[in-house]
Amino acid sequence: MSHINELTKGIFKENPTFIIMLGMCPTLGVSTQVSNAIGMGLSVIFVLTCSNIFISLLRKIIPDSVRIPCYIVIIASFVTIVEMVLHAYVPSVYEALGVYLPLIVVNCIILGRAEAFAGKNGVLDSALDGIGMGVGFTLSLSLIALIREVLGAGTITLFPMGSFSGVITLPGLSASPVRVLTLAAGALLLMGYLKAFFQWKTERCKGGKA
Amino acid sequence: MTRYMKTAVILFLICAVCTALCAIVNEVTAPVIASSIESERLAALSDVAAGYGIGEENAVGDGRVNYYIPLLSEEGGTAGYIVELLTSGYGGEMTVIASYDADGTLLEAKLMANSETPGLGKKAEESWYMDMFRGLGGSEPLPLSKADLSADDSAAVSGASVTFNGIASALSAGSDYVKGLGGAV
Repeated sequence: MSHINELTKGIFKENPTFIIMLGMCPTLGVSTQVSNAIGMGLSVIFVLTCSNIFISLLRKIIPDSVRIPCYIVIIASFVTIVEMVLHAYVPSVYEALGVYLPLIVVNCIILGRAEAFAGKNGVLDSALDGIGMGVGFTLSLSLIALIREVLGAGTITLFPMGSFSGVITLPGLSASPVRVLTLAAGALLLMGYLKAFFQWKTERCKGGKA
Repeated sequence: MTRYMKTAVILFLICAVCTALCAIVNEVTAPVIASSIESERLAALSDVAAGYGIGEENAVGDGRVNYYIPLLSEEGGTAGYIVELLTSGYGGEMTVIASYDADGTLLEAKLMANSETPGLGKKAEESWYMDMFRGLGGSEPLPLSKADLSADDSAAVSGASVTFNGIASALSAGSDYVKGLGGAV
């Protein structure tokens, strides 16, 4: 498989959220606002890429019998680093992500890619796999958050910059939003529709019947 | 035996490198985090001061009360106190900053550091949450359990009883502490 394939497979073909169905808990938990989704996505990209590189570098040194504790130590260290950096420089995102930030340690995407890919492949491919999977996760999370926030609250929350408050209010939708989409039930409902769409799209790409 | 030793040494080295990485990042970020926490604390003190002047901080550190600060009236007398309280919630330790009249009536309160669950216990950070305590603690007692609340308030804290109990007990302890201080510093 070419390096480009390693990078792009996580975006659609092996999308962690819609195809492999990994990391559902943070997906449903933090996708209430676009800014939270972007913050969470960037954190996962950083942790996934760094942990994949480290695990790939150490794959011939780490004994098989203690590989999971080693993976967890490496992943937990990068999550701790992300937590400290966000707390120091982006406290609003740190507060919004709350308990989901330290829970990246046990995010199935991170440990799953470490076990299934980085522990068996070279550094470059592992780094590209981490970036691709992380970008795929970020795009999926942002798509879910965008739909939930636009329809459920009539707003798009980004990051404040200069005179821009960070919140775009959509006239009409903000006056009569579909509140259920901001709740957990709405997240599951939307996730089901998006999963069905991606399943249909995948089948179509394979040449099967939709 | 050699195999076990080798495994232990590798695991130790990986842990040591990871710890060193975290320590370096902590060294850089700790002062920034401390300064941001201090700014938040000062903003909270100003928010709960209810228009009174803020006096000198007096350390307590008895496990429930971290410190108290007298609230100064325009004439310079003690109108009440701000107290920083420690309590525990569902996610662990919580800090509450509250202001009281000299008779222990709650003026304002704000939940500070906490690890409560977003959407449940985190609701306690919103200003409406403290409405169920405001004005109580003097002649009327503060609510200590959900049974002491109105049906609406009880429904609002539903799903986060541990957080509510932690905040209620802290505010009650703060009220009792202020009553003990009386009107003089």
